Amino acid sequence: MIGTNRTVRGVAVTSPVGDPSLGEEDERALRRRIVERAIAMLGTHVGPKTVWEGRT
Amino acid sequence: MKVAHYVNQFFAGLGGEDAAGTGPVRLDGAVGPGKGLGLDVAVTLAAGDDYFGEHEEDALAQLLRWLDEEQPEVLICGPSFGSGRYGYACGSFAREAARRGVPAVCGMHPESPGVLAAEGAAYIVPTDVKVTGMRDALPRMAALARRLAAGETLGPPDQEGYLPRGLRRNEIAELTGAQRAVDLLLAKLAGDVRTEVTAAFDDVPPPPPVVDMTTATVALVTESGLVPRGNPDRLESNRAHAWLSYSLEGLDGFEVADWESVHGGYDTSVANADPDRLVPLDVVRHLVAEGSIGSLHETLYTTTGNSTPVATAAKFGQEIAQRLRDAGVQAVILTGT
Repeated sequence: MIGTNRTVRGVAVTSPVGDPSLGEEDERALRRRIVERAIAMLGTHVGPKTVWEGRT
Repeated sequence: MKVAHYVNQFFAGLGGEDAAGTGPVRLDGAVGPGKGLGLDVAVTLAAGDDYFGEHEEDALAQLLRWLDEEQPEVLICGPSFGSGRYGYACGSFAREAARRGVPAVCGMHPESPGVLAAEGAAYIVPTDVKVTGMRDALPRMAALARRLAAGETLGPPDQEGYLPRGLRRNEIAELTGAQRAVDLLLAKLAGDVRTEVTAAFDDVPPPPPVVDMTTATVALVTESGLVPRGNPDRLESNRAHAWLSYSLEGLDGFEVADWESVHGGYDTSVANADPDRLVPLDVVRHLVAEGSIGSLHETLYTTTGNSTPVATAAKFGQEIAQRLRDAGVQAVILTGT
């Protein structure tokens, strides 16, 4: 997160936008929620370094 | 020991703001704060703050000519405390003097523009932001000046009391890295935060938000080591020397048969069972089809972010950003591992 201004918390280092413990459909839905958060953040004015916390 | 001292119009006694346009002046002996240094100041050089700012080249040329004639063993500038113009003049003159072989000492507040102007060529003693810090600053500046004039090499900034100059010197440490790391940790637990390596963080101001995502072109970038299976371009698993780009045309996702991660910094088995876990190509395709994203930039930019020196990573970032800019991309989803 060093120096980045718009950061969405992913799942894990080994799978930032996926979760192998979920079924294929649920995993795709989770990935979609993460990307939708990223899209929302891209459209949001932020101050230096904003991290959107919380479970996706 | 022969000392030259630089001050602005105010400290030279030439006047206040009304005299800020005064050109360079050369005065014999110590003037104003120079009398408090406790050193044999042979010559005091001065210029108005505005004059220096507006005629920097001329001012520096004249001041350096005088320095050449005087041949002092050390130049002292200021202290200029929190003053912007005065600090800038001190830092600039000290830098030029030091580069011509006259060691230079400034005194100023660490946030003064003079610190940057000095470019690490001069020694800068940190002072208070206000003139009331004079009595504290002068002896510290004089002590460094005395040693520099004697040709001594100064130790590191934190021990000698000057601001870091952005230089690194090799030295033989008596303790191993492990021992020093534990010592630093224990010191930190005791409330004393120290570091052997001062990192300079590059604060990038956040770009303004994308006005309308439904018309924006979005690119996918990653440092996860994602490459075509077989790694045809031989991307390194750590310390990557390059970033790569691959076409996404015709792809609705990253198929296991065609893509893999070669990153050496994490266990890639989960990602290699479904590379969409690294870069959300499948989802972005859907969002484009649904209209919530305008379009996808049809090139993936990828590298391995593992033990990458910051300078290399910054260069990769700048090069990729330039490509994206040239391609008219408005937003980037960059997945990291």
